[in-house]
Order: sequence, then C-alpha cells, then structure tokens
Amino acid sequence: MSIFGVGLDQPGRSVLLTGNEAVARGAIEAGVAFAACYPGSPTAEVLPTLAQLGEKFNIYTEFSTNEKVAIEAAAAASFAGLRSLTICKVDGFNVALDFATAISLSGNKGGMVIMVGDDPNAHSSIKEEDCRFLARTASLPLLEPATVMEAKEITKFAFELSEKIMLPVVVRCTTRICHASGDVKLGELPTAEKKASLTRDQKFVTTPLFSQFMKSKIKNAADMAECSPFNYYTGPENAEKIVIACGPSYNYALEAVEILGLKDSVGVLKISTTWPLPENLILRYLKSAREVVFVEEIDSFLEDGVMTLAAKYWDEVGKVKFYGKNSGHVASPKGPFAGELDPDVVTGCLGKIFNAHYESPGLPNIKEARDLLNNNLPGRELALCAGCPHRASYWAIKTAVELDGRNAIVLGDIGCYSLGLVRTGYSLLQSVHCMGAGIGIASGLGKLDRFQFKQPVIAVLGDSTFYHAAPQALINARYNQSSMLCIILDNETTAMTGHQPHPGRGISATGQPLGKVEIEAILAGMGIPVTVHDPYDVEGTTEVVYKILQETGPRALVLRRACALMAVKGRKKNRVYVDQDKCIGDDCGCARFCSRVFACPANIWDAQRGRASIDEAVCNGCGVCASLCPQQAIVVERTV
Amino acid sequence: MNQAVKGPGDLIREVLEQNQCTVCGLCVGMCPYIKTVSQKVAIIHSCGLKEGNCYKACPRTGINLPELDDMVFGQERKDQALGFNRGIYFARATDTAITQAAQYGGVTTALMAFAVDQGMVSGAALSGGTSLSPRPVIARTAREVISCAGSKYTAVPTLTALNKAVGEGLQCVGVVGRPCQIAAVRKGQALSRTDPSARIPASRAGLVIGLFCFWSLGFDFYRYLEEKAGGDEIVKVDIPVEGLAVTTAKGTGVWPVDEIRPYIREVCNTCADCTSEWADVSVGSTEYDPAWNTLVVRSDAGQSLVNRALEKAVIEIKPYPEERLKILRKAALNKKMRVLQNLDRPGPEYLTVPAEYLSEIKQQWEELQS
Repeated sequence: MSIFGVGLDQPGRSVLLTGNEAVARGAIEAGVAFAACYPGSPTAEVLPTLAQLGEKFNIYTEFSTNEKVAIEAAAAASFAGLRSLTICKVDGFNVALDFATAISLSGNKGGMVIMVGDDPNAHSSIKEEDCRFLARTASLPLLEPATVMEAKEITKFAFELSEKIMLPVVVRCTTRICHASGDVKLGELPTAEKKASLTRDQKFVTTPLFSQFMKSKIKNAADMAECSPFNYYTGPENAEKIVIACGPSYNYALEAVEILGLKDSVGVLKISTTWPLPENLILRYLKSAREVVFVEEIDSFLEDGVMTLAAKYWDEVGKVKFYGKNSGHVASPKGPFAGELDPDVVTGCLGKIFNAHYESPGLPNIKEARDLLNNNLPGRELALCAGCPHRASYWAIKTAVELDGRNAIVLGDIGCYSLGLVRTGYSLLQSVHCMGAGIGIASGLGKLDRFQFKQPVIAVLGDSTFYHAAPQALINARYNQSSMLCIILDNETTAMTGHQPHPGRGISATGQPLGKVEIEAILAGMGIPVTVHDPYDVEGTTEVVYKILQETGPRALVLRRACALMAVKGRKKNRVYVDQDKCIGDDCGCARFCSRVFACPANIWDAQRGRASIDEAVCNGCGVCASLCPQQAIVVERTV
Repeated sequence: MNQAVKGPGDLIREVLEQNQCTVCGLCVGMCPYIKTVSQKVAIIHSCGLKEGNCYKACPRTGINLPELDDMVFGQERKDQALGFNRGIYFARATDTAITQAAQYGGVTTALMAFAVDQGMVSGAALSGGTSLSPRPVIARTAREVISCAGSKYTAVPTLTALNKAVGEGLQCVGVVGRPCQIAAVRKGQALSRTDPSARIPASRAGLVIGLFCFWSLGFDFYRYLEEKAGGDEIVKVDIPVEGLAVTTAKGTGVWPVDEIRPYIREVCNTCADCTSEWADVSVGSTEYDPAWNTLVVRSDAGQSLVNRALEKAVIEIKPYPEERLKILRKAALNKKMRVLQNLDRPGPEYLTVPAEYLSEIKQQWEELQS
C-alpha cells in the first residue's frame, strides 16, 4: 500500500502499512505541520514518507544535520503553535537529550512528538540502548505501541497529550514495529488550517523554578494514563499469575499464554504508557498477583518501574515473586539484557516460570533444509558493497599506513565505513563509538606527544557524519593544534540509512535544490588544510595519504566518490571481466588477491578453471580491482 | 644463491628490517602486496605464502659475482675495478638539446633515445619527474626519453616502471638504472634462465644502461634541497667534486659535500658495485670534463648499440686518458675495498665473491698504489 495508503482520504478503510508509515499517517491525522529528522534505522522511512505527502497535507519536512538541531527546529514549530514531529533512533535521542531535558522545563505549545526507534538485537546499530531511560531522564511522557495499528493511533494521541500537558511526548517504536507491516484502519484527515503564531509575550524559558510545574505535568500524564485505552488486561479476574508486557512483547506474551494453555490462570497486562506509569491500574492487578513476569525488550524499564511501585505500596501488594530480566528468567538466547524476544523465546520463558510443558518446534523443516544443502551454504561475512569507494579508500589508507611504518592509529566512526573494523575494511579501524567520536578521540591522541606518543593519528568518517558531528571536534583539534589527519570518506550521500540527502548534496528532503554546503569550505574556514582526491585512483590516494601523514598539526583529506549503488542507479555499468589467458590463477604470487584479500563481492574465484572471475551480476563496474591486479588481467570496458 | 624455501616473511626480516632494501623496485608490482611510495618499499599485507619470487629475485638476498659475469658476458672478469668491459671512452651526445638538458655529455639519454627511436627497445623504464619529485616513468618515444634527462640523486624505484611496462605487454624494454638495479635485472634474468616458469617481469628487459653510482641519498634530501633552493624552481642538481650544486633561475649555489653525507642511505655502504658492472653499457661522469661522460662498453649488445650510435653520429667518443682511467679504477676499487673490508674475510652476506676474485682485487689495488 505504501505511500498511497498513507495519504488516502478514506476514513474507516483498512490499509496495509509498515510501522514507520503508520507513524507518518498518525502524524498526518493529527495535523502535523513540521517534521525534522536525521535518518537512522529503524525509523529512517518516516520522514521520506511525510516528505512525499508534504505538498498534499501542507507539511514542512527536513533532514536536519543532527538530532539536536532537528528537535530544536521542531520545537520552534511547536512554540509557534504548530504540531511537530521529530524522528530519530535512540543514538540520535542521546544527541538531542540536552535540549530534551531543557524543553521539559520550558514546556511547549503545539503538540510535539518525538518518535524514537529502539533496535533490540542491534540489527542496524552498534549498541542496544533503551531510549525509555532517556525519556524519563528528560521528564518526557513515554508511549509504546504494541502493533502497527497502534503505532498510528498512539502517534495521533501523543500530539493531543503533548498539547494537553504542554510537554513533548516520546513514542518508542522498536524495529519490529517500524519494519513490520500490518492492517491500519484509517482515521479522519484534519481540516483545520495550520497557522504559525508566536507573539512577543510568549516565553519558553528553562529554569529550575519550573521543576515543580514540570512534575505536575507528569502527574497529569500519569492520571491520563490510568484510563488510557492503550493499557488493558486480558485474563481471569484476580489472577495470581500475571504477565506485564509492553511493545511487541505483549503480542508474544499473549501468544505464549495461549500456547501453554494457561489462559485460565495467567493474565496479561499490556502497558503502553510505560512512563509515567498508571499506578492505580497496575496496583489493581498486583494486589491479587503472587507471581509477576515482565516481558519487554532491551532493558528492565517496565520491570524496574513496577517493582518500585510494589515497594512503595508493599503493605497493600503483599508477597509477590517477580520474574524478568533481573532474575534472568526472561531472556533472549543472547541473554536477558541483549537480543530480541519472539513468541518462541517468550513461550519458553513462561513455560519454565509457570512449570508448563513447552517444546520449541524450532524452525520448520530446518533438518530437511540442512540435508538438502549438505552444509554447503557459504558463510556470509559483513561486506562493503561491490564497487564501494570505501574499499578503495581503505586499501589505500592501509597501504599508506604500512609504508609509513610508524604504526599509525586509525579511528573509526558511524556509517557504512564502520565495516573498516572487520575484514572487508582490512580491519583497519581501532575504535567505533558514536557519530563524530573518532575525531574527538583523534584530537586527544594528537596531543599526547609530550608523553612519548609519536604515532600518527588518523580519524576516518563519512560525509553525513561530518555534517552531523565533526565540526566541533575539528574546531577543537584546530584550536588546540592537535596533530591528527581527518579523512572524510565522501560518498555524497547518507548511504547506510538509504541514501538520504545531506548538506553536501544540496537537495532537500523533497528533492528541491538548495545549494551545497561544501566540506572543503567548512574546513578552510576553520583553518585546516584540506586535500581532495578520488579514492578509485588507489595509487594516487596512497601517495596523498602517505604525504599528508608525514605532516603535522590538524589536517584533512576528502576522498570523494559517489556511493557505487547510487552511481549506477538507472545507468549502464562498465563491464569488467577477467582475461582468462592473462590471469594465471594460483601460479600468481598474489595468492588470490582479488577474491580473497581485496575481497570485493564481485571478485570471485572460479574453482573449476582455477582462475579469478568477476560476478557480473554483482559488479558495479568501478574497475578498482583492475588497477590492483598484478597480472593486469582484469579488463574494464568503459561505457561511463 | 640461497637454496632454502624463502618468501616475503624472510624478505622482511633479512632485507627490509635490516635497512638493506636498495629501492630498486624489482619486487614492487610483482604482487599486489609490495608497494612503494616516497622511495620506500614495504610489504603491506601478508600474502600467506612461504615461498616467493620477491625473496628469490631481490638483489639483496644473494648476488653471485662470477655467475652473473658468466651469464652476461660468457666469461669472468679480468678487471676487478670496473668489471668486464670491451672499451672505455670519453663520450658525449651530439644533439645540443640533449646535452643541455642532461647531465654532462648526455650519453645515457642519447643512447636510450636512439635505441627507442631505432626500435631496438619498445620503450624504456627511466627515472623521470622533476628534481624535487622524481618518479619511475615508462618512455615510449625518444622525446619521452629526453624529457627524463638529468641525474636523480635519490633511490627512484625505476624497476616498477619496467614491471608495469612488461605487464602492459611491451616486449624488450630498455632500462636505465643504478648498479643495484642493473644487478637486480640480471639476477632476475639468471633466475628465469634456470627456471623458465619463474615469473619475473624484470627478466624481460632488453637493453640495459647502467649508471655510475657511489651512493644515493635518502628521501629527506628533498627537504634539504627545497631549503637550499629557497622556494625557487630547481633547474638542475649536480654533485661534482666541489660539492652540491643547485641551479635555479637565480643562479647556481654550491654547498660542501659533507652537508649531504648524512643523507647517504645506509644500504649504499654495503654496495661493492659503483659502475653497474653487468650493464650492456655503463655511463658516468668523467670527474674531469663536464662536457663529456665516461662510457664503458661491456656486452655484445652494448657494443652494437654504441657502434650504431656512432654510425648515425648520435654520440661521439674519444680515447680515455690513461691517467684518468687510473683515477676511475682507483675510486671503484677503493669502494670495493671499503665494502669488502678485510679481503681475507667475506664481505656483506648477500655477495658471493670467490677467493680468486678477492685476491685479484687486492693485487690490482696494490698495483694501482705504485
């Protein structure tokens, strides 16, 4: 259904939407006027959806340079009485947190919603962080949908709640909400005119004097949560055994209770208002319960909240046994505080806790599949795409570092190029933390010369990360004259999250030309010398990296070449093939360099012929391997 | 030569880590893992193989003097100072365009340009580029050869250009190189002769012109040069007896040779060949008349090149003055004596010099003293 369904004006009709689309639809139904985002998985598709419908529903959309700017820009719209949405992943919410903790004191005006994506099992993240603690730290009410449909409803409700209590509201969606598809019943589209108004007498000031006022807003949210239609209980009256669950885990718990045949004895309490908690609602079920199980993903947030509640009302609650992450009873195969839950895992956990027999069916036909494949399934390593300019950059950097011979330290950052940690990037990177951290660390290492630290320092980061988080660290390095080389792998897009534009592309979220913000100009303004080179010219890049490595002080190198996937989209590719007469196979001293070491997915080994080969279906025609083959056996037929 | 199975790991331990790499460029480009930049060679990734041509062909893992004499000239040398030769002359190019651009008489440039022009070689691996950033170049025309004229005093890995040219399919590629590079090419040819399946691109070299070289300078020398030039464009660099002469548009400045001694590469102290003893012809300065070169004709191929060049009046020659020859031989032998130290003991490990050669060196040295 996709974008078409999101924009349909047919109230009551059910359409199939992803969770991200459902959130977009919820925001549209709520009359959102302003949406800002720095793309991050699993929530990256929300903003592009709104951008496509921006004209139709009069919504301004932007990709902001980072989440802090996004939330500040969205707050501006709220201050002007408009409804605004910020979309980020939990890592981005960290970036925005400074402002988030301030706006809870200043308050807002128009409904303001912050959609945060959590990524249990870190499918497309470097860590599994639970954003709920951040919402509580920032004193912002938190809502958690359990289904795709609810993602739309809760988003819509979040705007109303925000306006009522004058606090931004956080909607937490996990990957299994964002990326799942489900039936969504469409609601009415708004008709009210969106008009910005901010008068001189309206003030939004952060001061500790307002903390009591802020607490009373939270109290209001808690009161509203008591009768929220998003919290409900399924099961017998006065059950002695209950499961308290939130998010998609609620569905798993419900299914588990049914599979285990415990429907008559075990109740399931679903909580969507996970902070502040509806205390009375929970107490009602706690009082009769003797055994309570918590089912939720990433951290023990709901569990800790309910246990605190039980402690607070211990004389009313009485003796209760709690099972959850803290007790170790509810755990994914990776452990209680890591990985994802699913119906099978939750059924297994509940079966053990309630002493009900459950034998996991495992994956259907797994044995037959294994027999069929005869264990011939090739291992799949993490790999940069075929033709990825980062591969060429990494090979050149590795070469220069080895030639330099002073054991240069290479620091990484967040993006496709984080794969420099593993074999596909020649295991070059020694650190990866959060966006921009590589440069901050480099600026520190670059000041250790007085402690006999003489190794050159390189920080590698991408173009989108550059705009997101690099300037402050680079200004620091320049100001304090730290000896470090910043290498920007500029593939002219935010590749990892789906080729969203950024300031260097010079086009808006809706595709309008805006003019580029040049990386070189920024660096030049800082007084950091900068060189630009094409990484596909590996030999030249090696020389440039080596040369700059010999210099001291803060310095920068931009290795610019468009993302291979973006470059070939809709275009004819160069044909690359191996001249089977020139390739001498294992007689060459290269020891299968192209397929084994350089290891572009398009470079393959033809075991039958004992020769290198190119998988032309995979190859993107960059020709870098041809420039590195010692027998010059790889031929590039240039069409571009 | 070493018979044990040895490869890149041994090359690192025995040559690279010992600062014994001459930066000839022979191994660079034979595989994707040996790279060079700024006249530095490194193995950037372990190929995982135990045995490798990189080790076998490296001129610093073994040079057997009589074996190479026999392969190139079919006989042993009589002259221990200059190696096997058929004649030594004062020579110079007749084309003033060449002599103006080149060092001294311009014989190297004239001969290689002639060889390319006449199709005796399909191209030439040379040291080109500018005074401050020389680099290996493949010259395919006489004009391209001439554009590379002028001495480079650092270790340009010229043989990388030879490897590249062979890889591109050029047959019979000419080479101009330092003695270490000429030895590398000949060693590669010797290996290919004993094992025709050995893949050593350098063995496909055609005409080989060797340079006189008593030492080469490290890459840091360029920083020094830049300082001396004071930001002006360098037109020419020369190191005559008086010292280092740097010519810019503003004129020529001369600095004492002692100032550049610290830049002499460690590896050059263990080199016993200062006249490219296995070249087809060797060319150097006369240390006497800057308008002329010393030309040593060594092989048949070298003789025929010189004959044809004389026929076409590309170069002219005149007899080598007896007293100058004595000085040249003395200088060459002096270097050998220094490197081989006590002649009763073997010299640097990579050199196989038979006892008979050693006693001849001693004898000829003594003769020269009288």
